Order: sequence, then C-alpha cells, then structure tokens
Amino acid sequence: MLLKPRRKRSRKKLRLRMILLLTLACLLALTAVLAPLLTPNDPNATDSGAMNYAPCREYPFGTDRYGRCVCSRVLMGARTSVFCALALVVAAFLLGSILGMLAGYYSGAADTLVMRLADVLLSFPQMVLAIAVAGILGGGMGNAMLALGITSWTLYARLARAQVLSLRKEAYVQAARLSGCSTPSILLRTMLPNMLGPLAVNAAAQLGTTMVGLAGLSFLGIGVREPHAEWGSMISAARGYIQLAPWSVLFPAGAAVLTVMVFNLLGDCLRDWLDPEAAK
Amino acid sequence: MGKYILKRMAHLIWILLAVSFLTFLLMYLAPGDAAEKKLNAQGISVSQEVLERTRQEMGLDRPFLVQYGDWLLGVLRLDLGSSYKDGFPVGEKLARGLGSTLVLALWSLLLSLAVALPLSLLAALHRDGPLDRILRFLSFVGNSLPGFLLSVLLMYLFCVRLRLLPVLADRSLKGLLLPGLSLAIPLCSRFLRQFRAELLEQLGRSYVTGAVTRGVKARYILFRNVLRNASISILTIVGLSVGSLMGGSVVIETIFRWPGLGKLAMDAIRDRDLPVIQGFVLLTAVIYVGINLLTDIAYHWVDPRVREE
Amino acid sequence: MKRIVALVLAVLLALGLLGCAKTEKPAETPAAEPQILKLAESFAYPSLDVHKEYYGWYTSIYGISETLFRVGDDLSIQPLLAEKAETSEDGLTWTVTLAPKAAFSNGKALTADMVARNLKRLAEVNPRFAYLADFNISAAGDQTLTIVTPQIYPTLLSDLTAPELGIMDLDGTADFDNAPVCTGPFVLKSFQPEGTVEVEKNTAYWNEAVKLDGAIFYYMQDDESKLLAMQSGEIDGYTSVTAAAKDIYAADPSRYVLTQIPATRLQFYVLNETRMDDVLRRAVNLAADPGAIAAYLGGTVSPAVGPFTSAAPYGKVTKPAPDPEAAKAALEGAGYTLNKDGFYERDGQPIQLNICYYAARSLDSIAILLQEQLKAVGIDSILTVQEDPDSTYIATGDFDIALYCMIADKAGDPYYCIDALFRQDSRWAIAGFRSDACEALINELQFETNVTRRAELANQIVQMVIDDNAFGFVGLFNKTTVTRKGVEGIAENCPFDFYGVDANTGIG
Repeated sequence: MLLKPRRKRSRKKLRLRMILLLTLACLLALTAVLAPLLTPNDPNATDSGAMNYAPCREYPFGTDRYGRCVCSRVLMGARTSVFCALALVVAAFLLGSILGMLAGYYSGAADTLVMRLADVLLSFPQMVLAIAVAGILGGGMGNAMLALGITSWTLYARLARAQVLSLRKEAYVQAARLSGCSTPSILLRTMLPNMLGPLAVNAAAQLGTTMVGLAGLSFLGIGVREPHAEWGSMISAARGYIQLAPWSVLFPAGAAVLTVMVFNLLGDCLRDWLDPEAAK
Repeated sequence: MGKYILKRMAHLIWILLAVSFLTFLLMYLAPGDAAEKKLNAQGISVSQEVLERTRQEMGLDRPFLVQYGDWLLGVLRLDLGSSYKDGFPVGEKLARGLGSTLVLALWSLLLSLAVALPLSLLAALHRDGPLDRILRFLSFVGNSLPGFLLSVLLMYLFCVRLRLLPVLADRSLKGLLLPGLSLAIPLCSRFLRQFRAELLEQLGRSYVTGAVTRGVKARYILFRNVLRNASISILTIVGLSVGSLMGGSVVIETIFRWPGLGKLAMDAIRDRDLPVIQGFVLLTAVIYVGINLLTDIAYHWVDPRVREE
Repeated sequence: MKRIVALVLAVLLALGLLGCAKTEKPAETPAAEPQILKLAESFAYPSLDVHKEYYGWYTSIYGISETLFRVGDDLSIQPLLAEKAETSEDGLTWTVTLAPKAAFSNGKALTADMVARNLKRLAEVNPRFAYLADFNISAAGDQTLTIVTPQIYPTLLSDLTAPELGIMDLDGTADFDNAPVCTGPFVLKSFQPEGTVEVEKNTAYWNEAVKLDGAIFYYMQDDESKLLAMQSGEIDGYTSVTAAAKDIYAADPSRYVLTQIPATRLQFYVLNETRMDDVLRRAVNLAADPGAIAAYLGGTVSPAVGPFTSAAPYGKVTKPAPDPEAAKAALEGAGYTLNKDGFYERDGQPIQLNICYYAARSLDSIAILLQEQLKAVGIDSILTVQEDPDSTYIATGDFDIALYCMIADKAGDPYYCIDALFRQDSRWAIAGFRSDACEALINELQFETNVTRRAELANQIVQMVIDDNAFGFVGLFNKTTVTRKGVEGIAENCPFDFYGVDANTGIG
C-alpha cells in the first residue's frame, strides 16, 4: 500500500489535548489579567543606575537600556497582546457575522454593498493593507487594531453569508418562518447555532495571526506605543542592543512565540474537535 | 472562458477605482503634510511663507476632489505622477522597486518549493512516522514565528554570533540569503502543511488503491497520477500565498533595507508621499488580483470540470 | 523522485556558484593598492542636483561640490571658492572676490558670471532659498561678484556657506540629476539613485593634492547594520554612532577611533503657556534633568542650557539646576496638594500633562525619561506620539509639553534659530510666549552687523525665554564619529552634517 492506514486517534486523546491547551490558554489569559500584580518591578520605572543589567535576582530577565525591568515589561506585554488580540477577534467576529447574516438573509442591495466592500478589501494582501492604514493613520494601539480589523471581519461575513444562504432553504428554517418567527429570532435562534462551529474554528485560528500582526505593526513602529509594554515594540526597541543586552530581545521574543504557538495549537485542536472530518 | 476573463478584468477596474479613492481619502484625512516633510527633511526650520508657497507649487492647497480627479486623469494617460519627495516619476520608482522585490520573492518562493515539495511527499508517504512528526513540529514552529522576529534572530545568529554573512545585503546569493530565509521559512512551513494535506487526500482516493491492487508500480502511480492530480491544488496554494509573501516582504525589506517595493512604500508612508503610495497601492492590487485571476485561469485550464460560478 | 532531488540540487548549486562568483570578486582584489575609503551614510537621495532639496548636503559630503565659503570646525567662516568678501559703507552691497585658481573638474575656470547664474538657479529651484531672488546678484568682472541686498543682511556670508549653494558648471553639465560637474576634490564614478555612491579623485582639482584615490558611500539607515558592517570591516567609518554601538567601539580602542564633538542639533520642548501657569512651568523645568537624560542617552547628546553650545559667544545663558524638592515646594506654595495616587492636584483637579513627541532623534527616549522625571516630583503625564509633529500638535497647539528637534545653528550665527523659535509670528507662538521686549531685541538682532553685539543680543533674548520658562532646552546632539584606526579627515571634528570627505581625507 502507498498510504499506510491511519492509526486511530482517539477522541479521548483529543479531549485531553484540548483540556491541556485550554488550561495553558487560560493561564496566559490569567497572566494577562493579573500582570500588574505579578510584576516584580514597576514596568515603566527607568533607572540610570541599572541600564542593560544581565538577568539577576532583582531583575529575573535583566533590564533594558533605560534600566526598566524586562520581566515586568514582558508580563505587561502579555496583557497588551492577549487583550488586544481577543478584543479584535471578538469584534471582527461579531461585526462580520452580523453583516454576513444580514447580507445573506436580505440579499439585494445590502448584500451587494457588503460583499463588494469585502471584495475591495480582499483585493489586497491583508498585512500590506494593515501596514498602509496604520502607517497613514499614524499608529497607536487603536489605529493598529483598526488597521488589522479592517480586513478580518470579511472572513466571517463571507462564511456567515454562505451559511445563511444554504440554511435558508432548510426545512426547519422555512418552518420557523412560516410559523411567524421574527427575522432576528430566526437569525439568532435558528441559524446562528448551526453556523457557530465553523465561525468559532476560524476565530480561534485568527487569534494567533492577529497577535503576530499586532506585534509586527508595533515592531515597525506603527503599533502600540511607549511607554506601553508590547512584545513587538520591545523587540524593535532593543534590537540595537542585541550585542550588549541580548536578554532584552530574547525574552519578549520567546514570550511572543510561545503565546502564538499555544493559540495556534488551540485553533488546530478546536478544528479537529468540531470538524473531525477535516482532521488528517 | 474569454467572457469570464473579461468579466474579471472589469471587476478589477472597479476594485482599483475604489481602492485608489479610499487611499486618497485616507491620506487626505490623516494628519501629515508632504510639503513640510520635504522642507524639514534635514531638520532645518522653514518659515510659514516658504511652506505655503511649496504647498501651492505641489498642488496641496487644492480641494480634495480636484486633487483626486487630477491624479485619476493622469493615471488614465498612464502617468502615475511624480513623487512629492524628490519629483521623480512614480512609475520609474515602482519599476525599480518591483525588480528588487521580484528577485527576493521569487528566490524565497523557489527555495520554499524546493524544500516543501519533496519533504511533504515524504511526510505524506510515511504518515505518522518519525520524519512526519518532526516535519509537522517544525512547520508548526515556522508558522508561529513572526517574520520580523525571524529576521532579527537570523541576523543575530549569522551576522553577530557566527559572523558568516555580510551586513551589506546586495543582490548576490549571500546578500539574498537572510532576507530570503526570513521570507521563505514561514512560507515553507505553510506549504509543507498544506501540500501534505493535499497529497494525503490524493493518496487516500480509491483510484490509488485500485491501481495498487492492479499491480501498477508505486513510482508510476505517484508521478503519473498523484502528483499530477495534486498539482492543481498545489498551484492554487502557491497562488494564494502571494498575498502573504507581499505582506511579508514589506516587513522584511524594511528590516534588511532591501530596496524593493515594500521599503519604498514604508518610506513613502513616512514621508506622506501620496503619489508613490497611490502607485504602490494600485500596483499591489493589480498584482494580487492578477495572480488570483491567473490561478483561476490555470485551474480552469488544467481541470475543465471546474465551472465558473 | 531521485531525479527531482537531483534537479533541485543542481539548481541550488548553480545559484550558489553564481552568488559566490559575484560576492568574492571584491574580496580577491588586494585592498592595499588604490586607497578607497568606504563610509556608511544614513541618507541617500535619488538625485545629485546640488541646488535642489537637500541633495547639496550629500554632494558636499561626497566631496563633489564646493561652496564660496565654508564653516570651519570652530564655526568660523572660511574662504573656499571665494577668496574674500567685503561690504560697502551702507552695508547693502557685498563684493565677493573668487579664488583665482578655482576651476571645475572639466578644467573650465570658475567665473563670477557662473556663480551668479548658480545663485539664481538655486533661488528658482529651491523654495528654501527663494529669498535670494530679492537680491541683486551680478558679475562685476571675471572674478568679482556683487550682491546688493534690499535691507542690511548681516548673515549673508553664513548663508553662502549652505551646501545647497554648491557651484555647478551649468553649461558643462548635461545631466544635473546623475552627473553634475562641480569643483570638488572628487568626481562621480557611479551613482545608484537612493543607493551606493562611488567617487574617485578629481585629478584636476584646483586647490591642492587629493590624498585618496576614491570613496564609496553605502546607504545604511539601520544603526544595527552600521555597527555590524563596521565590526566585519565592510566600512571604514560613519557618523551619528548610537550609545549602544559607542560602548562596543570604546571597548576596542586598538581598532576603532571614536570622535565626539558638540554639534548643533537641538532637542527641546515647548511649554504651553495657555494651559500651564507660571508655577507649573517652573516646576516642570526644575523637574526635568538634562544631565540625567544625557547620561541615559549614553553621551550621544550633551545637556543643554540654551539652544546654542555654551562654547559659543552667543551661548552664554544660565538656568537653575534641576531640583525636584524646589519643584515640589513651588507647587505646594501655589496651592497644589498631593493626592492619594502621589500626584499633585488643585481644587480636586489632578495635574495631567500631555507630552507630545515624535519618534525620531531620540525624542522618544526623552519623552519616556521626562515622564519618569515628572512622576518623581508628583506631576502626572501622558505621552502622545505623532508621526508628523508639524501638522499635528504644533499646528493645533493641543499639547502641554511639545518635544521637538531641529538644527539650532546653521552656520555659526544665532539669528536663524531665534527667528524660527521666539518670534511672535513664529509657529511656536501657538504656545503663548509673548514678550514685546524680546521681539524688539530680535528685530535689533536681525539688522545688527557687529558680531559681539549680536552675541550680546542673542544671550539677552535666550535668557528672557529661559526666565519665562517658555521653553526647556534638553540636549544638543553630539556628533559622534567612529573610524577605523588610521582613517582621518571625514569631518569628524566639524559640528555640521554636510561635510564629508575632502582633499585631506586619508587612510593612515
């Protein structure tokens, strides 16, 4: 045989993995929430007597060129990254799904408008558009999120619209409509539960990408700003010091990679869980 | 087919109009003044009079719609205007940047394909074997590493720690290596994962099982059937990767000072150089939409069963 | 399968050979023979037209173009293409005598008529020099040029040192953008727009023998790349070394020579008088510690008292030393009290200052440090960063503290900076500094020809501004140059950015 038969991967094992990853993700989220309590030092306090210190007891990850505690900044950076990514994905999810559902349900002019807008936005590589928008608007956390969010909603809108279009013909939806249910009720009670799966899979997958995108914008200097700690901008700012103080780059870098990996794994796992067919 | 292409081209024109208008509007509304940027380039302060006169000469004092209309008329005459910053024709600047970007992008694309194609085939054939597991892990890590971080780490490793590579990136292979790798590693990781899935899909088809039971040689099945059938999807995957390649190259070019389109765009954004930004936006949209269209056409051509919507 | 692998390997090998063949060539040629200096520059322009934009700065750095007068390392004005200049009794007519030997690289002698045409062309193509059109410039002979100004114009000679006033052979130049014919010690060998520029010795240089055979200027914006290229020996030197790189070079004095001199780029902030009362402004200026900021910046800037270096005769001003306790006392004396967060408030209104900055010229560092210094005396603040300060906070006046960086001294005279910053119709007037006495002194300075009196006036004006706490002068950038041991004369002792190689530049 060319293809060896697949070893059965039990659902139980998948569930175990899911629980493990969820725990990790929750831990990260908890770190983000509790960051101000966990920091060993004030993340913004500068100290001319302690510039570029190597990791030691007082500064577990060393200090940067202003003598700020890298560990405290990495912890506060978790807050920025995780919160921003979550907020952005949730907003894009809500906006996209609602627009998509409305477009699919009502068809006509609304549909054309929404889908054409999505077409225009998708006629552009997402990161290029985000860089252009953030650059033109002049950066800042809000503008960076806006720049990334400008395209991310289209994904949900397309998915939701396609789902609504196919579900519209289903018997139970017809039945609901004939029995006099209102439009919002049909969309929310009858249709939404049926499309939540695929939408959620996409949302989970988007978390990691969003974090990378946000860090990338900050790295280019058009994202989160000083004195706010953010991993991308920390890496960018400390880049010139990589020979003198490699820790000020490597710790935020490690934190960013680990977090993105956890969220990406979670996304994969969720997809396998909700959509066993696609798992290969 | 011809009609389909025409329809898509018409669609492209509408997209270009909308995109250019939106960028123009965004630039108009956003803070920043090209005249000021240009006069202050070296930190010399200028008087209000000089500023006003420069704005007038650059046509920045005209109403928004006049400026846009003027630009649009120029584009219709195939004139993208000239840069606010240095007065050079935008078309020339873009052409120069495009050349550099193409070298970088093609090189990383080739590198990724050269690595991902054979490896994904091996991984698919030995599913769940040690190689497959290692590759899956590596491609996962590669997928999670942001491009900017990768380039910083590669620079640190090769230029600082090992002192193996020159810092002055030129167009030689040595100069191309680091920016190329920074672009290729995430791309290759994605290819590995997607190619593997596609090959597994093909290998699982009944025609493979049938051919094997009929006693057809494995190599024959692999090259004549499986790879050929998978090629359509692989082509699509490669076509769709152009977007992330373009996004990645903006970041990578900025870090490595590679004189391509991405760096040109970043500089133009910083200098509020509207004509260059507009040119870049148009070119990007044309390339992106064009490649998607080409992928579609290739798809139709290779597999006539695919019907247009 | 094997065939594919073989093919891939073959392609990679071929590419590899191609790449190696290209890169190894320069390494093979022995570096001892021709003396070629390799430098890194932070800017590169698409054109070499001396008169346009700031391109003249770079033709000057490349040693291609020269001006009538140049500024010496001690900020004095020295003759170059011109031998001397004299004013008439009424101060309105300047007579400039050209150096008799002065000639272009194509051998053609420099004439007064050519200089006059150059000045007129500059006035036409460069808006920053449009004012030259108001002067009556004419050739009074082959070597004599007269410039008649409508009003007394004491700074004319210092204006004539601007690198944009480099003289080109307007008749002999066919392509102004790519191949200007000038008078400098070097001539262009190859020019990559916005890229690498190569020059070679001007064998017909009119002034003196040129030591170097040529020079290459690489365009490298990234500080990290410059450091690495210096370490790997790919370049021989560059200016504006960062604090981090400085420490690394300083650790290896056997290979690198660091030269640091005070320069003229000023970092300062403006205090918005329309929003902050006298006491609060004084408290901010007492809290800000330029010395500590300079220490953080690793000596790349020197702490500033006023806008000019205190070595200059027009830089003799004083300000109170930083004193957090005095700042607190001043606030408390004016009725401010500490709230539970440790910040001062008055009538239940906590102070929260908006510090606006843009992320260039270390202003981002200064913003961060200033915020911390204010916090230490109990003044709360937020940071607002803008991409473009000129069209945002400076235009709208929406700031409490606005950081800015500009060249304060173009050529050894205080008027340009004072005119740009402290006049009632300057763009900084939006911050509310108004003093008729000060304005009168500035008017006097504009037309004063006596250098000593000019310095006195400048000192009085700046002292008024300091005493009013209208501005805070933070730092003057040092010009820090690193060179490989033995390399000398790349303008490392000149405070200006627009000089580079000249006839005396050499590789030891």
